[in-house]
Amino acid sequence: GLRDLRDRIESVKNTQKITEAMKLVAAAKVRRAQEAVVGARPFSETLVEVLYNINEQLQTDDIDVPLTKVRPVKKVALVVVTGDRGLCGGFNNYLIKKAEARIRDLKALGIDYTIISVGKKGNSYFIRRPYIPVDKFLEGSNLPTAKDAQAIADDVFSLFVSEEVDKVELLYTKFVSLVKSEPVIHTLLPLSPKGEICDINGNCVDAANDEFFRLTTKEGKLTVERDIIRTKTTDFSPILQFEQDPVQILDALLPLYLNSQILRALQESLASELAARMSAMSSATDNATELKKNLSRVYNRQRQAKITGEILEIVAGADALV
Amino acid sequence: MTLNLSVLTPNRIVWDSEVEEIVLSTNSGQIGILPNHAPIATAVDIGILRIRLNDQWLTMALMGGFARIGNNEITVLVNDAEKGSDIDPQEAQQTLELAEANVKKAEGRRQKIEANLALRRARTRVEAINPIS
Repeated sequence: GLRDLRDRIESVKNTQKITEAMKLVAAAKVRRAQEAVVGARPFSETLVEVLYNINEQLQTDDIDVPLTKVRPVKKVALVVVTGDRGLCGGFNNYLIKKAEARIRDLKALGIDYTIISVGKKGNSYFIRRPYIPVDKFLEGSNLPTAKDAQAIADDVFSLFVSEEVDKVELLYTKFVSLVKSEPVIHTLLPLSPKGEICDINGNCVDAANDEFFRLTTKEGKLTVERDIIRTKTTDFSPILQFEQDPVQILDALLPLYLNSQILRALQESLASELAARMSAMSSATDNATELKKNLSRVYNRQRQAKITGEILEIVAGADALV
Repeated sequence: MTLNLSVLTPNRIVWDSEVEEIVLSTNSGQIGILPNHAPIATAVDIGILRIRLNDQWLTMALMGGFARIGNNEITVLVNDAEKGSDIDPQEAQQTLELAEANVKKAEGRRQKIEANLALRRARTRVEAINPIS
């Protein structure tokens, strides 16, 4: 009846207010996320510059650093970065599907695996599936900091150095633009200048669309917008002396690089989540507007029909009296 | 000649201004740096950075990283850095006690690596509050 319709219009209106508010909140947070990325830039730029310099000087040396050691892969650790909240379209689902596909691939290759889950949505997914081995559950945060990245890096580092796993892959959602983001697999460890890792039998265990780790300047840019702002760097003195063994210096630098890679992944994942929520809420608001319009039309039509019916009855009644 | 120090962490710039002298904990021991130092690159241990400014010493807890010195520019890249004055003494002390307990409990190679790292970090933070001068 008419009252039901009125109630429905009212509830659609309320829902629309909520989705509208969520959209605005997400939009504001995207800006904060971008600021965080900008804040991380001086560090990453300097780091990449230094790495590049040192790498050049070490080109000819045979470096043996634990983090770059390529071993035959028997077990892989997958770091799965999801969001903490829902209502962001397919964001979490896409990433979890990607993780599942990777797990299937690894199983097919007969390689053992373990999961490090970051973010509430991923945590609850893996808790519901006890047959998937999970090494650690970590909570995501509203704004990823170096501490969060450090927690992951510590875990990954000890897993790798203690030779419990031979390879670490990071699964996160890469931020392309406000309307586009895609889940990607990124090899964290071993840090190899070349990328592809094959075992003794020549079986390569890298995912087909893995983003390879490269110690080059262009990999180091940490911009969400992916704009290329290279600050002009002063030429550094070529007579730079190494206080320690170059190997030791690399040993100190690579964990920093590892951290900044993880931090970037966390930041990108957050930016993608917020962008996904923004567009999901935006279309929800549009849908609510559309629904409200249609419902009001039906409501008005019914009301008019009722009034017309009443008038007809009165006119017919008056006619009968004549 | 003035000496410029910048301490960068992945999150933010912790320090970016002129200093008179610094003492840096490197992997091969502490080194003091005065203006016109020879250009060097060094790994920075988990430890304390001491900064002399207007003839006063400031301390900072550094969580391991890398430093580059040259042209009177010092660039320190670290995972985390906290000024001694910004650390909550009680909280730092508690973290240290917890870390000490964890080291004793740790079993297996992996846990030991983790516990020892945490202990060194906690100890550095406590030292940064009460510098031994």
